[in-house]
Amino acid sequence: MKRTLLGVLVAAGLAATAVLAADAATAKPPLGLPPVPIPADNLQTPEKVALGDKLFDDKRFSATGQVACATCHDSKKAFTDSPLRVSDGIKKAGKALNGTRNAPTVVNAAYFDVQFWDGRSPSLEDQSQHPFLNPVEMGLKDHQPILKIVRSDPAYVKAFEQVFGKKGAQVTMKEVQQAIAAFERTKVSGNSAFDRYFYGGESGALTDAQKRGFDLYVNKGRCVSCHRIEQTQALFTDNRFHNVGVGINDIQKDVPALAGEFLQAKATLAQVDVKVLGDKRTSELGRFAVTRDFEGLGAFKTPTLRNAAVTSPYMHDGSLKTLKDVVVHYNNGGVTKEGDPVNDFLSGGIRPLNLTEPEIDDLVSFMEALTSPEYASLPSAARMEVKP
Amino acid sequence: MKRKIAVALAAAVALAVVGGIAIQADEFTKKDQERWEKEYMSVVQKGRALWTSPQLGTNGVACAQCHPNAANTHPETYPKFQQQLGRVIALREMINWCIQQPLEGKPLALDSPDMVALEAYVAYERRGVALAPGKH
Amino acid sequence: MNPIVPSRRDFLKGAAAAAAAGVVPMSLVKLAFADPAQDFTFAYISDAHIQHISGNKFVRNWDRGLIRAVAETNLLTPKPDFVMFGGDLGQLGMKEELDHGAEMLSKLRAPLHCVMGEHDYYLDLGEYWSKLFGPHWYSFDHKGVHFVVLNSILTHDEWTYNRWPSAEERMLQMAGLDNPNGSPFMVGEKQRAWLEADLDKVAKTTPVVVFSHSPLQKLYKGWNFWTDDAEQVQAILAPFEKVNVIYGHVHQIQYNQIGNISFNAVMATAWPWPYPNAYAQAQHTMPVLTVPMNRADPFFERDATGWQFIDVHTGRVALKYNLYNNTARTVAWNPATGKPEDTVFQDPAKRVPPQVHY
Repeated sequence: MKRTLLGVLVAAGLAATAVLAADAATAKPPLGLPPVPIPADNLQTPEKVALGDKLFDDKRFSATGQVACATCHDSKKAFTDSPLRVSDGIKKAGKALNGTRNAPTVVNAAYFDVQFWDGRSPSLEDQSQHPFLNPVEMGLKDHQPILKIVRSDPAYVKAFEQVFGKKGAQVTMKEVQQAIAAFERTKVSGNSAFDRYFYGGESGALTDAQKRGFDLYVNKGRCVSCHRIEQTQALFTDNRFHNVGVGINDIQKDVPALAGEFLQAKATLAQVDVKVLGDKRTSELGRFAVTRDFEGLGAFKTPTLRNAAVTSPYMHDGSLKTLKDVVVHYNNGGVTKEGDPVNDFLSGGIRPLNLTEPEIDDLVSFMEALTSPEYASLPSAARMEVKP
Repeated sequence: MKRKIAVALAAAVALAVVGGIAIQADEFTKKDQERWEKEYMSVVQKGRALWTSPQLGTNGVACAQCHPNAANTHPETYPKFQQQLGRVIALREMINWCIQQPLEGKPLALDSPDMVALEAYVAYERRGVALAPGKH
Repeated sequence: MNPIVPSRRDFLKGAAAAAAAGVVPMSLVKLAFADPAQDFTFAYISDAHIQHISGNKFVRNWDRGLIRAVAETNLLTPKPDFVMFGGDLGQLGMKEELDHGAEMLSKLRAPLHCVMGEHDYYLDLGEYWSKLFGPHWYSFDHKGVHFVVLNSILTHDEWTYNRWPSAEERMLQMAGLDNPNGSPFMVGEKQRAWLEADLDKVAKTTPVVVFSHSPLQKLYKGWNFWTDDAEQVQAILAPFEKVNVIYGHVHQIQYNQIGNISFNAVMATAWPWPYPNAYAQAQHTMPVLTVPMNRADPFFERDATGWQFIDVHTGRVALKYNLYNNTARTVAWNPATGKPEDTVFQDPAKRVPPQVHY
C-alpha cells in the first residue's frame, strides 16, 4: 500500500466506512433490541451483505425468471407482500400460484431461533434455500440454475471471490445462503415509540390510548407471555409454538385423518416444505407436521409484533385483515367468530378476555406504537377495513 | 458544668428506674411481644382464610387448589423478573396476577389489608427458607 | 431375543413402520420374559376435577384439560386397548360435575374403566358414581394380565358418618388437600379381604396391575399422599412376581419401587401440584427415585398437566407422560436396576433447571 498521506487518508476513510458498515449489524443494537445473534461461521462484512442483497433481489432464481425473494419480501412493504393474504408465486398458464401461508417479514427475523411459521428450518441460512425449490413459490427443480448463474455472471463471480475467496465449482449453495442470511441480519429495527417510552424514558412517546393499551397488553389482554416484553428488551416473541385457533378450527373433524396420513408419510424437511404449502388442510396441522408431537397440533410460531401495523394481514394464513380483527379473535378466546366452537388442541394460554370495545381499540393503538421509524411512512393497515 | 449535668441525669434515671417508669426504654416488654405475636398470627390466619376461599376470584377456584400450604410460591425469590408480567416485580404483584388470571378475579390494591394478610400467610408457610431474590 | 418397544413416535406410526425405520429406542429395549404377542397399551386419564360454578358454567380451565386429553387419546394409532379414568372426575362430587365429565369421557373411542377418587366420593358416598360407572372396586383380566381397581380413598367411619353436619360440609372438608380437618385415606379391612380372595385365584407368575387413587404408600400425610394401610395392602401383593401400582391423586410424576412392586403416579388433566419437598414445613418420605417434573408456567393452563399411555410389556409398565409446554417423559422399568426410571433424566448429571427447583 502506498504510504503517501493521501493513501493513508483514503485507506483510513475506507476502513472507517468498512467499520461503520460492518457494524451495522454488530454495533449497538436498535433501542429495545438485544445484539443480533451472528453465527461464528458466517460473520458480517459489508461486501457479504451487499452480495446477499443482490441475491435476494434476483428474479432469475425462479422457474419463470419472474420471482425473487424480494417479490414476497418487498423492502418497500417492510419485507412482506402486504396486503396479500398468501403470496403469489410463479405464474402457470398466466395465473400466479398460491401457497397456504402469509409471507412473514424479514425484519427482525434474525432474532428467531427457527424460521418459517412452523419452525421447520433451523436458521436463516437454511431457510433461504427452500423457497427456490417450492413448486408454488419459485418452482425450480433443483438449485443448479442458481449455481450456474452465480458461477458465471461476472458481477457474481467477482463478489463471491471477494467475499468467500471462492470461484467456479467452489461456489456452492452454502455461500449463496450465507450471503442471503448476512443481508437479512442487517434488517433489524427497534426504536419505535414504544421503545422510546419504555426503554428510552420518554414519557410522552406514547399517547394516552397507547399507554392504556400497554397496560392491557401486560394484564387483561394476556399478550406479554407469548409476545414477550422484558425489562431491557422486547423481541415480542417467545420463540415457541402455540395453537391460537386460527385455521385449525376449520379442519377440526379432519384432524385425526390428516394427522394419521402425515405420520405415515414420514416426510423429510424438504417434503414437509412442499406438502404444507401445497395443501391448505395439511398446512393447518402447523408444527405437528414438523415434530409429529401432539403439542404441535395446529400450533404456529409466535411472530414478532414489531411493525405489525404495516405488515397486514395477520396470522399464518393471512386470514385476519386488521389488527382489530386479531384482537377480537383473541378476545373471543381463540375463534374468529364469537361463539364458534373452540378447537380441542387450543393452547392453554388462550381464553376469552372480556375486553370492552374501547379496550380493544386501545390495544390496537398500542400495537401501532411498535412501528420502527424506517417503516413509519408505510400505510398503516391496522384499522383499514380491507374488502374481502 | 458537664459533670454536674451527667450526675443530674444519672440521678434522674436512677429515680425513674426505682420508680418503675420505663420512660426511655427501647426494649419491648414480654407482654407487648406476646400480644403482637398474636395480632400477627391473626393476620396470618386471615391470609389462610383468603387462601382457601373461593371469594378472591369469580370462578370458585381458590389459591390453595394449586398451592396447598402456599407451596410453590417461592416468596424468598422476590423481587424478581417475572416473565408473565415482563418486568421485575414484588411478590404481591404476582399474587394479583394469580387473582386475575387463574382465579379470574379483580386485583387487590397493593396496600390493602387483604393483600398484607395473603403475603403474611405465604411468608409464614415459607419461614426458615433463606432469601434468594431474583432466583428462578 | 430383544423385542423392541416402540417409542411414542413410532408407536403412532405403527409398530411395523418402527421396525422398518430401523429406529431402536435404546431406553425402552427390554429383555423378553414372556411372549411379545401379549404386549398391549392402554391410556390413563386422571384427576379432571370438573368444577361447577353456577347454572351450566364450569371452570373452563379444567374442562379444557379433559377435552384435550380425550381428543389426543383418540388420535393414538394403534388404538389403546382400553382407557382408565383415574379418579376425581368432579371437584365437589356434584351430579352436574360428574355428568359434565362423563359426557366428555363418552367421546373416547376405546372402552372405559374408572377408578374412584375422594372428590367423587364424599358427597354421596359414590351413589351417583355407581350409576354412571359401576362398582367402586372390581377386577378384570386382559391379555394375560390381572387388573384390580381399588377404592383407596375411604377413611375412618367416624369421620365419614359422624363428624360432619351435612354431606356438603363433609365433601368440602375432604376437598381441601392441605386441610388439617381431613382424614387419612385407606383401603380398609373389607376391601383388603376382597383383594386377598380375588388374588387367591391368580397365579403368582401372572402380572398384576393395581389401579388406585391414593398411592398405596405413605409419602406425605399432610396432603394425603398417603394410604394408612399401605403396608397391609403391599403384603397382600408381595407374593406376586410382577406387580405394578398405578395411582392418581398427586397430580405429578412420581415413581418408586418397594420390593417387587413398582409404583407409578399419573398426572392430572386439571392442574399440577407441588412436590411435598416444596413445602418448607413438611416432614415427608417422598421416594428419592423420582425425578420431578418441570415447574409449570401458570400462564399456560395446560402446563405440567397431561395424560399418559402405558405399554404393558412383559408384565412391566412403561408410562409415557404427555406433558404440555414441557418435555414429554417416559418412566419405564429398567431390568438392570430392577426399578422404574426416567429414561432420559434419571442420571443426576442430566437434570436441567427447573427440575432442580420445583
